[in-house]
Amino acid sequence: MVDEEEIIRVAELMKIDLEEHGEHVSRVKKMLEYFDILDQIDLSSEEITAQQKSLNELRKDEFIPNDKKLIESLKNFREHYVRAPKMN
Amino acid sequence: MNLNTSILKYIEDVKSGTFTVEEFTAETLQRIKDVDSDVHAYLSLNDSALNDAKLIDQKISSGEKIGQCYGFPISIKDNICITGTKTTCASKILENFIAPYTATVINRLQDEDAVITGKTNLDEFAMGLTTEFSAFGPTKNPWNLDYVPGGSSGGSAASVAANECLASLGSDTGGSVRNPASFCSVVGLKPTYGLISRYGLISYANSIEQIGPMTKTVKDSAFLLNIIAGQDANDDTTIDNDNVNYLENIEDGIEGKKIGIIKEMTTSEGLSSEVSTATKDAIGDFESLGASCEEVTLPTIPYTVAAYYTITSTEAGSNLARYDNIRYGYELESEGYEYNSYISKSRAKFGPEVTRRIILGGFVPSAGHAGKYFLKALKVKSKLISEINKAFEKFDYLISPTAPVQPFKFGEKIDDPVTLMLLDYNTVTANLTGKPAISVPYRVINGLPIGMQIMANSLNEKSLFQSAYALESKTNLPEVPL
Amino acid sequence: MTKIGLEIHCQLTKLESKLFCSCKANYREFEANHNICPVCMGLPGSLPRLNQKAVESATSIALALTCDTPEKIAFFRKNYFYPDLPKNFQITQLNVYGDMSVGGEGYVSVEDKKIKIRRIQLEEDPGRIIYEGASERTKITLVDYNRAGTPLVEIVTDPDFESPRQVRVFLNILSDLLENLGVAEPGLEGAMRADGNVSIEGGNKVEIKNIGSFHDLEKALHFEITRQQSLFERDIEIAQETRHWDDRRKITVSSRSKEEDQDYRYFLENDIPWVTIDQSTRDRLKENMPESISSKKERYIEKFDIAPQVADIIASDRYYSKLFENAYSDDNAKDIANLITTDVIGFIDTKEKQQNSKITSKHLSDLIDAINSKTITRNSAKVALQEIMKSGKDTKFVLDEMDLGQVSDSSEIDTIISQIFEEEKQAVIDAKERPETVNFLVGKVMQKTKGKADPVKTLELIKSKLNQ
Ligand SMILES: [Zn+2]
Repeated sequence: MVDEEEIIRVAELMKIDLEEHGEHVSRVKKMLEYFDILDQIDLSSEEITAQQKSLNELRKDEFIPNDKKLIESLKNFREHYVRAPKMN
Repeated sequence: MNLNTSILKYIEDVKSGTFTVEEFTAETLQRIKDVDSDVHAYLSLNDSALNDAKLIDQKISSGEKIGQCYGFPISIKDNICITGTKTTCASKILENFIAPYTATVINRLQDEDAVITGKTNLDEFAMGLTTEFSAFGPTKNPWNLDYVPGGSSGGSAASVAANECLASLGSDTGGSVRNPASFCSVVGLKPTYGLISRYGLISYANSIEQIGPMTKTVKDSAFLLNIIAGQDANDDTTIDNDNVNYLENIEDGIEGKKIGIIKEMTTSEGLSSEVSTATKDAIGDFESLGASCEEVTLPTIPYTVAAYYTITSTEAGSNLARYDNIRYGYELESEGYEYNSYISKSRAKFGPEVTRRIILGGFVPSAGHAGKYFLKALKVKSKLISEINKAFEKFDYLISPTAPVQPFKFGEKIDDPVTLMLLDYNTVTANLTGKPAISVPYRVINGLPIGMQIMANSLNEKSLFQSAYALESKTNLPEVPL
Repeated sequence: MTKIGLEIHCQLTKLESKLFCSCKANYREFEANHNICPVCMGLPGSLPRLNQKAVESATSIALALTCDTPEKIAFFRKNYFYPDLPKNFQITQLNVYGDMSVGGEGYVSVEDKKIKIRRIQLEEDPGRIIYEGASERTKITLVDYNRAGTPLVEIVTDPDFESPRQVRVFLNILSDLLENLGVAEPGLEGAMRADGNVSIEGGNKVEIKNIGSFHDLEKALHFEITRQQSLFERDIEIAQETRHWDDRRKITVSSRSKEEDQDYRYFLENDIPWVTIDQSTRDRLKENMPESISSKKERYIEKFDIAPQVADIIASDRYYSKLFENAYSDDNAKDIANLITTDVIGFIDTKEKQQNSKITSKHLSDLIDAINSKTITRNSAKVALQEIMKSGKDTKFVLDEMDLGQVSDSSEIDTIISQIFEEEKQAVIDAKERPETVNFLVGKVMQKTKGKADPVKTLELIKSKLNQ
């Protein structure tokens, strides 16, 4: 059984404010309960794999200056610094 | 001027002087004006489309070298970046985001003189199957405005179906190109993972998603793939396709080919009787084309939807973490806020489905739960890959209906998350395995379309198109009643 | 027994570009946020493109530290929110699906003790937060992303150190090694940083973070050991926790942030395929690696009979060893080495001075030739060196220009000795009674000739004059 408290705690870690969204919790819970189906399949012999590439196919180490104005096309900067909220 | 034409026919007509690029573009823009207030396929229009068309006409008349697209109008899903234009992902959080760079696929289209009409609607961040999760209102199905167009590339599919352009680019994470293609009666391709550059596509679940063409005909799909496929230095996951010409020999037919009918996808509980009947007809058509059909079972399929949602929400939870409203986003003064409360407040702009997926994405890979959910999902993926590779040793193609049901009415399924998830039942396998899959318009029953899905082995798009073209030639579908 | 482990971060500033984009790896010369692009700013739709040479450099470091290097490496996302992280995750490495970070187990010998390296991983540096004034009063945080994406190698050791002094020796060896490999510049501000963890007998492990320099690390370790010992003596449990080094108060402070509770949700970064590094590539990297400091040192001692301390100084500094390697011949190696360690080092003792100095290996061999052929004295060589460093002019030209030619004509020296004997009557008497004080008179002659008089001849002449 999935604990609703834990869903709320995880939401907080993901910087999601659930104050006005109680219905999300029950819906997330339903989805998680559906995922229980994963307990029914035998996966003991499976390994995790991924796409592969050889070292020499990677990007060559070259400095290519980017458009100096990129920062100005973004928002919230002061002089050249990005403004973020204060840390606690 | 007939706007319901294929790209290939359009190019012939421009070449022969039947109409100019400008004339066709103007007519298309007029069509958008006339019908898009009903359909709502577009989120924004390209103001310079007509001007772009004029420039291409000038090139043609002055005998300058002209790109293969000859200015045909194409719409772009609004999760693909174009310099200087809004790319919103149909989300309030990116409502004012102006991309400072251009996606590789767009560069390739523009290099070949395509004219971009505008950006199309989608479920927010491509999470959904109906476009009902767009923050800017749903797109309607041109076949019946009371019905959903499918999703998440619903705006792209509808724009093609409603003759508001000749083709569109969508993105497909679990069926987001093929599902709306099926619902709107257009051709939708999800290519082999890595065949098309994702540079400039705003990530939802980057390990399995691909950009895909949405067109009126199979040949147009092959034509577009010729232009946008191939390795890209900006995307390390792209693979070499040896510059295959997908149009070449497309009419070769499928005589002697072996087709596997995926049992799990054609006998599932959720399959409607109309879709089931259509599938039987399609099998008959394939056999009449000289292919042999046989049922095949992929026993892992019943677990794929859970695996798919586990993997995609994990990746989404991480991919969408960057939307903290600090470097880009919407205006919200940061002074006076503390960091955590500021970003939580900013992220309240995410819509309901995205919010839920982010929470799921925090849950299923977390230290305490990864073993139960995320790692199992990755192993389901591995197991499915082995199964499907084994099936492709025997079969050239694997088929199923694209979606288990026909389009449904707005609001009909949105309230039950599990029902919604299961709509992906037939499409997620191609994403989890990286295999190419195409949805071909096959029937219109009770005024609503049904598409058939064909899958092939990795990088076998050329062969995939041959089968899709063969099936398409067996159909005779009505025109969209809009 | 005290146990100390380290986590060292070193930027690969010798690379041209960042780990995943083409912005400059060494961000130091740029105005704030002028060394950024869509990739390192994590703009929506951008994708990382792994730098081949960064993987090679990190692999070289692993090989130099005798680490196992895997055939396949993988990257992972470490997910957490922080304003200096443009994507709110850091791309790093982890060994959960087998050993897939650039380096596995290895070791470094520190004074007869083997310090075990646990793993080496390649990752991206975050941006930089600029703190203006006292943090309680600032209303906003300013961020500069120029550093975001700079290639960083993390080296994690086992808790094998027994004292802060051992840590210091290890870090010196390590930074010499990284510099010698030509991949990093540990001397650059912020280019090499270390966090430590400390436990004493019977106590829990405490991590110390936020340490600005190696100097502070040693202080922090000392402080922490003392703190833990005093807790232990008073029977107070030492909590397992993360503490931050407070640079102002020079103490460690328990972190308020719940770093222990952080769940980083590590999972594969699928935008970067697993990279295969075949054996031949690893062999090539091994071959191309510069000679290690220890084997260089051994070679100097064995081949040229150079004193171990001298060999050590030259071998562990890239600048001096390069000067030496290009200057020596079989006959003069020892002299060159001594010239470097006695004179050159005195003038060129910082990286900055090394960069500005115009001295070449040719100058050194010319000077030794001049000394050995008695054209100049050792003292004059020192004077000439100073001028050569500034001007870089040819040795012979400098010797002529400064009139540094050795005075070895007996009558000329004799005349000067006579003068000195007149001026220093008491010293002459002393020297007659106590021959060991004769050096005072030699020094006077040298003073008068500005060091040009042949010292051997001078001594001879003074002795014979004293005996007259
Ligand atoms: Zn960059």
